Amino acid sequence: MNLKPIVTIVFMILFSLNNAYSQTSMPNINIKTLEGKTINSKTTYNKKGLTVYSFWATWCVPCINELDDIHNEIQKWDKANVKIIAISTDDSRTKRRIRPLVNGKKWDFKIFLDENQSLKRALNIDAIPHTIVTKGNKIIYRRIGYKPGEENYLYDFIINNSVAKN
Amino acid sequence: MNKKTILILFIFLYNTTSYSQLFKYTTASFNSFSAYYLDDSKTGDFNENNRFRSNNYLNIKSNIDKNWNLELQVESYAPNSLLNYSPNFKETNLSTFNIAYNKNNLNISIGNFYEQFGSGMTLRSWEDKNLGINNSIRGLNTKYRINDEFNITALIGQQKKGFKYSKGYILGFDSEFDFSKITNGSTLLLGLSYVGRNDQRTKSEFFPETTHMFSGRLDYSSNSFYSNIEIIDKSKNPITVFGSLSNTFIKKGSSLLFNSGYFNNGFGIDFTFRRLENMSLFSEREAYGNPYNESIINYLPALTKQHDYSLANLYVYSAQPNVSFQTNDLMKVGEIGMQIDLYYFLEKNTFLGGKYGTNISVNGAVWNNLDGNFDFNNQNYDTDLFGFGQKYFSELSLEIRKKWSSKFDNIFLFINQFYNSRFIEEKVGEVNSNVLVLENTYKINDKKSLRFELQHLSTKDDNKNWSAYAIEYNLNSAFSVYFSDLYNYQNPKQEKKIHYYNFGGSYSKGINRFTINYGRQRGGLVCTGGICRYVPESSGLSFSISSTLF
Repeated sequence: MNLKPIVTIVFMILFSLNNAYSQTSMPNINIKTLEGKTINSKTTYNKKGLTVYSFWATWCVPCINELDDIHNEIQKWDKANVKIIAISTDDSRTKRRIRPLVNGKKWDFKIFLDENQSLKRALNIDAIPHTIVTKGNKIIYRRIGYKPGEENYLYDFIINNSVAKN
Repeated sequence: MNKKTILILFIFLYNTTSYSQLFKYTTASFNSFSAYYLDDSKTGDFNENNRFRSNNYLNIKSNIDKNWNLELQVESYAPNSLLNYSPNFKETNLSTFNIAYNKNNLNISIGNFYEQFGSGMTLRSWEDKNLGINNSIRGLNTKYRINDEFNITALIGQQKKGFKYSKGYILGFDSEFDFSKITNGSTLLLGLSYVGRNDQRTKSEFFPETTHMFSGRLDYSSNSFYSNIEIIDKSKNPITVFGSLSNTFIKKGSSLLFNSGYFNNGFGIDFTFRRLENMSLFSEREAYGNPYNESIINYLPALTKQHDYSLANLYVYSAQPNVSFQTNDLMKVGEIGMQIDLYYFLEKNTFLGGKYGTNISVNGAVWNNLDGNFDFNNQNYDTDLFGFGQKYFSELSLEIRKKWSSKFDNIFLFINQFYNSRFIEEKVGEVNSNVLVLENTYKINDKKSLRFELQHLSTKDDNKNWSAYAIEYNLNSAFSVYFSDLYNYQNPKQEKKIHYYNFGGSYSKGINRFTINYGRQRGGLVCTGGICRYVPESSGLSFSISSTLF
């Protein structure tokens, strides 16, 4: 078995880890509103508190479970001074389902479209669901995947960090 | 590019990011998908070379300063890729490289870029690692936002296939006008595009070396209603007949898409109609029909509901945009059909809604061949604009999501499918099937949960009935284990009654995720986002790493 390529890759990772620092912010990428208008991702954050960006798609069952679970307790979340943004990564196959689905579920999250996955790529997101929390424009938390109950952990994280801000 | 050059590039990037203030921030991600294939008494021995296969991707993005961005991706296949990826993915190499300049309303990108015009029916370049698709274009892409109402994109380049590039050139132009200022609260957008593909290698006196596509689209949205239409005209291009370009069978292509929807609080409906005639376009004419989805210029996905359950994905429709004359009773020139989606929310604290409310969704889709006069002997055809020919596929599904208490919820799904294997896969037969799925989730506490999934597919056709189940136990926010089995219990051939069992686990912490799986994979079509590829049956141990490094 030729291990050379693996060694190269591992070497590269070690190199990069050495250089790691996590202070990143939302990149400057054009995404779209549900009506098809272009908007810059950098302008979407909550100016007064924290923002949760949830990357989802209409065909992704765990993504919908997470957003449903947040929606079911939305009154609790509303009080936490947090803006919830659901970024749909549906491409042209399924994007037409977004508006009926969101309204059929009565979600009142802000929804944006990342149709050719430019923002997803810029943030190096490989799989959804993927959740990002920003304070101002600065990323303070990221998570891949969703398991039932994780919305409670996210909620606690938001409460703790909102308090710290005040 | 050899490994040394890659390493030097990497070290350069590392040093610049570490010791200078030049780079505002750098972000990197690493993905690895590996498998060790085993012989299997049921599905057969592993007959390829290298039992250990691994696909590895390292991506680095850097803001050099306010206006300049740099991106590179190195890929390594050790030394072969996972089964059924293109043979063009081999060993280690620089896969993509891009420098972009972004100031005010101007964006210039040199190197590999990803782009989409409108819904992608004329042009889409994107990456999907699971399907082995990376059809990024290497060249020049310029975008200019003239004002809030008007923006343009122009690009030229060659398309990536594996570590190589297509010989044909792609030229593209897209413009978007926003008329919302004059439409009084509603949104009206107009888009006009052009895509040209020049392929000099297949130069011939019988057809032009460049194929053109012109497209126009209109999007209207108001508070609770939207509607859009897109029309494409594709110039003459030779049809591929039994693997070679015909000098006489040369046809134009076209596409018509209409979509409209209405929604109100708690209710949503969406309707789509699409007609495709001879619409696929590749950056090299010879790439037509390649099994790896390489050199695809335009994105023509199947417009059906994308399912997340294994038995719902046994008979998956893939769009039929091409002309294919196989026999005098198997002639395809495209597809025509429609899809409808309904969503309804039964209110909380009502008789049917219960304490938490209930979500109901219905989907229906039907896709047919175009109708017209087909002449097999003279290799020619005429089509009717709204004629429905032989039925390819239809599907009706009902999904109910219900949360019963703070601890327990379930999803019920019923699907009725018709799948015309003869026309879709150019094999034999038709399949009428019904699929039932019941998924239950029980939250034991804030950290622990149990998910249990039951599926059944019943059909009198093809390989008869299947059953499937899966159990997933989430131990805490990081660890999860599962066991699943797919069983074709009614297969007419005794030796084909195989359990496709899998078990494994995952560990995820923040932005890192590791998975391990042992089991047997069912062969067949693997589809993501409406694009499918065939995978052979296999058995073995697989593991993956997904990590955003910084």
